[in-house]
Amino acid sequence: MPTKRRGKLAYKILFGFLVTSLAPMGLVGWHLINISQASLRKETLAMQESLAVGFADTVQKYVTTFKNVLTETSSLDDFVSMNPIKQQQSLNRILQIHLAVLELSVLNEKGVETLRVGRFLGPNPEMRDFSKEDLYQTAIGPRGQYIGRLERFQGLYPTVTVSVPILDPRAQPPHPVGVLAARISLNPLSTMLAMEFPSTGKSQAAVVASDGFMIAHSDPKEIYKPDARMPDEVLKVVTTQSNDRGGGELPLPDGRKLLAAFAETRDLSWIVYVQQPVEVAYQSSDEMKSQIMKVLVWVVLATVLLSLIVAGHITAPIRMLRDAADRLGKGQFEDLPEVVTTNDEIGDLAQTFLGMRESLKEKTGELIHAKQELEKFTKFLEKRVDARTRELKAAQDELIKKERLAAIGQMAAVVGHEIRNPLAVINNSIYFIKTKLSTGQEPDPKIAKHIKIIESEIQQANGIINEILTYSRQRELKPELVKLNHWLEELLSVYPFPPHIELVKLLDPADPTLSIDATEMQQSIRNLIGNGIEVMPPPKGGKITIRTRVPEPGWVQIDIGDSGAGIPPDVLDKIFAPFFTTKARGTGLGLAVVRKVIDRHKGRVDVESQVGVGTTFKLFLPTV
Amino acid sequence: MTKLPKLLIIDDDAHLRESLAEVLELDGFECHQAGAAKEGIAAAQKLEPEVVIMDIQLPDSSGFQICQELRKRSKTVILIMMTGRFLSSEEKKQGFELGADEYITKPFDLAELSARIKQLLSRNASKG
Repeated sequence: MPTKRRGKLAYKILFGFLVTSLAPMGLVGWHLINISQASLRKETLAMQESLAVGFADTVQKYVTTFKNVLTETSSLDDFVSMNPIKQQQSLNRILQIHLAVLELSVLNEKGVETLRVGRFLGPNPEMRDFSKEDLYQTAIGPRGQYIGRLERFQGLYPTVTVSVPILDPRAQPPHPVGVLAARISLNPLSTMLAMEFPSTGKSQAAVVASDGFMIAHSDPKEIYKPDARMPDEVLKVVTTQSNDRGGGELPLPDGRKLLAAFAETRDLSWIVYVQQPVEVAYQSSDEMKSQIMKVLVWVVLATVLLSLIVAGHITAPIRMLRDAADRLGKGQFEDLPEVVTTNDEIGDLAQTFLGMRESLKEKTGELIHAKQELEKFTKFLEKRVDARTRELKAAQDELIKKERLAAIGQMAAVVGHEIRNPLAVINNSIYFIKTKLSTGQEPDPKIAKHIKIIESEIQQANGIINEILTYSRQRELKPELVKLNHWLEELLSVYPFPPHIELVKLLDPADPTLSIDATEMQQSIRNLIGNGIEVMPPPKGGKITIRTRVPEPGWVQIDIGDSGAGIPPDVLDKIFAPFFTTKARGTGLGLAVVRKVIDRHKGRVDVESQVGVGTTFKLFLPTV
Repeated sequence: MTKLPKLLIIDDDAHLRESLAEVLELDGFECHQAGAAKEGIAAAQKLEPEVVIMDIQLPDSSGFQICQELRKRSKTVILIMMTGRFLSSEEKKQGFELGADEYITKPFDLAELSARIKQLLSRNASKG
C-alpha cells in the first residue's frame, strides 16, 4: 500500500495555523495561568491570615472569659466580706464549672495568700506572700487586673495566671480589700488548635508569647516539651513585624520554604502563628496550573491533529492535481487520478487543469498524428526518391545506350556512305564488264563465275551495311493498330520458308489488338524466323513454331521456336548484345535489333533454350 | 539516226561518275559528267540534258538545291537523286516537292535504273 503523502503544502499550512493561532493563545494562556496562580496564592495566604486572626480572637476570648469569671466572683458580697468560708464555697464552684482553672488564690490587702484551693493541692497548703509579685501589684494598682506569669504546671501544661482586685463597693471610691488570682490551664487552646489543624495535615499552628514561650500548639507533642519554644528564626521574623497581622513566604535555613501567617491578640501581645509548607499551600494553584497545562497540551494536540486533517483536506485536491500533472508530464492521458472540482480557487485550478489536459491531449494527438504523417510522407518520399533514382538510373542507362547507339549510328552512316560509294563503283564496273563480255563470243566460264561471286559479295556487303544502318538509325516509331493474328498470318504468308522447314502456327483465338510499328516489328519477327531457319539446315531441317497466347489481361505473348541445336547457357545471356555473333558471316545485330524494337514497344523479350531440343524466343507486348 | 538522250551525272566521286556513265552509254545514252554543283548547273544550262542524275551530298552544295534550280528551268527534265545513306520520309518528301522524280540508293541495280530512265523518257515523249 503506498503511503499517503501529505505534502509540504499541508505542513506549511499547519505551521501557519500554529503560528497564527496557537502561539498567541499559548501566550495568553500562560499569562492567565500566572495571574490566576498568583491570585490563588494570595487567596491562600489571606485565608491563612484570617485563620490566624480568628484564632487570635478565640485566644483573647478564652482568657477574657476567665477574667470575667474572676471579676464577677470577686464582686460578690459574700466574697468582699473576706469570709474565708464563703469565699471557699465560691471558689470550689468555679473549680467545678471551669475545668481549665487549676488553682485559685485569695490574697489579702497586703498581698499575702489567705485562701488557696486547687485540683492537685493536698490539705493545708502553704500560704505564699505575693506582695512583691506583679500579679498582686498590678491587680491592686490602677489597672485593676493582671494577666501573665506564663509557666508550666508541673513542668508540662502551659498556664497563665489571671488576677483581679476584690473591691469593697461600700467605700467611696471603691477600695480594694484583696486580690483574687487564678492559675488557668492553656491546654484547651492546644486542643482547639489540634482540632483546627490536625496532625495528619501539613499545616501547623501555634500561640507564642512575645518572649518565645510556647502557649499552644496544634501538635500535642510540641506543647508537652518542658522547654517548648518557638524557633528563634521564626520568632525573629514574627516579632519584628510592625503590623499586628501579616504573612508571606518564609525561607528556612535548610532551603525549604514555608507559607506563614500571624496575628497578634488584642490585649495580650501573644502571637498566633500559622504555617504550612509552600508546596502544600500552593498545591491547589499548582494543581490548577498543571490542569491548565494538561488542557493546553490537549488543545495543542487537538489543534495539530485538526490542522493536519484540515490541511490534508485542503491540500488533497492540490496533491491529486500534482499527481495528475506528474502523470500528464509522463505522457499518460488516460487513467489519471480523478480530479475533484470543488467550488473554490482550487476547483478553478482543477478546471483549468482539466482544460489544459484536454488541449494537451488534443495537441499531443495532433503531434503524434503529424509525426505519423511525416513518417509516412518520409517513407513515401524515400520510395519516390528510390523509384526516381531507379528511373533516373534507367534513363541514364538508356541515355548512355542511346548515345552509344547514336555514335554507332553516326559512324555507321559515315562508314556506310563511304563504303557504298566504292561498292557502287565496283558494281558499275562489274556490270560494265559483264555487259561487254556478253556482247562478244562465249566468255570463259570461269570469268563468268567470278563475276557472279563479285556480284554476290557486293550484295552481301550491301546487306551488312543495310543491317548496321537499320540498327543505328534514330527513327521515330510509327505505331498503328493491328489485329495480331491477321498481321502474323500476312507476314508468314509472304515469308520465303525453304522446303526443309515445317511451319506450325498456334494462334490464340482471342486475337488481341496491338499498337505497333509494323515495319520494325516485322523486321524483328523476320530476324527471329531467319535465325531459326539458319540453325536447322538441310537436309535435316526442322520446325518453326509460331504461337500466341494471353498470359494476363493487357498482355500478349508471341513465341517463335525452333527445333535446332539449342544455345549453351554460357552463350545465352550474350546473344542480345550488339555485334555478338556465332555465325561465320553475320553482323551480330539481328537479336540486338529484336531487343531494341521490343524495348521501344515497352515490351519484354525472353529466351528459353535446351541444347539438342531447340530454342524459343518469347515476346511480351502490351495490348490495347 | 535518232538523237541520243543526253544524260548529266553530277557526283564528286570521279570513279562513280565514269563507271556509271560508261554503263549507261552502253545502254544508248549520251553521258556528260560534272564533279560539283556549280559545274553541274553550268553544264545543264549549256547541254540541256533530258536526264540529270545527282548525288545528294556534294562538296559545294546539296543535291536538293541543284534539283530545285534545274526544275525551275525545265519542267520536263528527269531528275534522279543518288544517295549512299538512308533517307527519312521527310527528306524524300522534301525532295519530291522540290521536283525530284526518283531516288536511287548506292549501289544500284543498273539494269533496273536503265529501264526506269527509259520508261520516264518515253512517258515524257508521249506527253510532249
